[in-house]
Amino acid sequence: MFNVIDKIIGGSVFLWVGRDRFAQFQKFFASAGLDSPIIADAALIVAAGLEVFAFVLFAGALLHFMKNRIETSRSWFFLGIVFTLVIFTIFSIGDHIFGDRFELLEHTLFWFITLISWVVYNRLEGVEGENLGIERKQKLGAVAVALFLVIVTSVSVFDYNENFFHRRTSALETEMVGENLYKISFPFLGGSIVFEKSLAKFKEENPNLRIIQLYTVPNPLRLKKADSLIFYIVTEEKS
Amino acid sequence: MREKNIIRLAILVFWTFFWGLSVMDKIIPDVHCLWVGKDFYALFVKFFGSLGLKNPIFATIALASISAIEVLNFVFYLLAGFNFLRGDEAQTQKWFFRAIFSSMTLFALFSIGDQVFGDRFQLLEHGLFWIVLVASWIVFNFVANIEDKPIMLNGSKSVILVGVVMTIFISFSIKSFSSRTLSNIDSPVMGIEVVDGVYKFDFPFLADKIVWEKTINNFKKEHPELKINYIYTGPGELNSKKKTHMLLYVFTEAV
Repeated sequence: MFNVIDKIIGGSVFLWVGRDRFAQFQKFFASAGLDSPIIADAALIVAAGLEVFAFVLFAGALLHFMKNRIETSRSWFFLGIVFTLVIFTIFSIGDHIFGDRFELLEHTLFWFITLISWVVYNRLEGVEGENLGIERKQKLGAVAVALFLVIVTSVSVFDYNENFFHRRTSALETEMVGENLYKISFPFLGGSIVFEKSLAKFKEENPNLRIIQLYTVPNPLRLKKADSLIFYIVTEEKS
Repeated sequence: MREKNIIRLAILVFWTFFWGLSVMDKIIPDVHCLWVGKDFYALFVKFFGSLGLKNPIFATIALASISAIEVLNFVFYLLAGFNFLRGDEAQTQKWFFRAIFSSMTLFALFSIGDQVFGDRFQLLEHGLFWIVLVASWIVFNFVANIEDKPIMLNGSKSVILVGVVMTIFISFSIKSFSSRTLSNIDSPVMGIEVVDGVYKFDFPFLADKIVWEKTINNFKKEHPELKINYIYTGPGELNSKKKTHMLLYVFTEAV
């Protein structure tokens, strides 16, 4: 269903980011020498059509399942599975053609999950329902521990939000690390606003300097996850 | 066709295309019209180069050997599919087992290579493909034992109707979105002055190098009073997750 919604919305709007599939398809086909947007449109419509039918079939299976029509639900589910397998097979063929090995792995895994879902669904048909009741004492103990942990976690999260959200927007201090060389280390919350504010602050504090280069420290030079974005400002004196 | 045969056919079709296209990728080594593929030769040359084996003959021999196993895989799956369509269960099983076994051997070899060359991501990738192969074999055999039940599709007309109506609606939506955003392919991006003398350009997903060139040329035309000192590509950390494709900052000063 959300795949279908993603195709309807297309781009990024308030409360929905999704993925711009048109741009992705257009770039894929353009890389294979097919620049016309009609081809990307047609391919996207075919993919969306298959997704629609898979969605309708799974939704129907769920509806019949809720109404305890087990055999009908199974039939709808099976057809949903077939549509999904067809979709991922087509996507995998596309991944080979367009040379996208990561997407090939992704689609193969989804294909595999679809296949396994069908096996599990079939295997569960013969399984006897077990009594899932829990002892009252253990239930109370679990609730108490869970409640305690939820309170501790929530306090920690809200406290962090209260004290550190300013990192999302505050300008950063620059550190002089060499002649005409300054370092800015980003917190994980920092984004383009922090970057721009930090640059403005630096320029304001150093009106006699001209920025001649910014150098972003590449990942191999960072301390794994402990370092977020780091960049250096290379300057020269204004003549 | 019966339920279990549809699942078995789906498995055979998937792996036949997988290996068939892998072989095709080796036959077509470069980018051509209607085929992009992956440059495995370059990948192998780099891998062997990192081991100190700079002579391209090592990469060429390794790639030719891998391709030969891939060809075997493809032929085995093709024969399994052919026998399956003929309804010869015994021959299908035999060819399918050979296909799965040779594919697993290939992914085992790839995994050894990944360890030797220290590529942990490819090791994960090949490990996952290996497990999917094992699972495919299990499912292929598992379906032989399940009871075939009739497919009861009450209200199939309404499924088709709902599906067709939704597809038509989505088609219009896709067409409208593509018409609205297609201009992003070759339109210059407009900059915003975010800091004194520093302009930010928020590139859309459809933009490519042509858009970059047009953007810079357009900026220079619109601002003859400014000299570009430096162009900085914003790293991924500056993007608001998936919303932004690429950020570009242009540092200028008055002429």
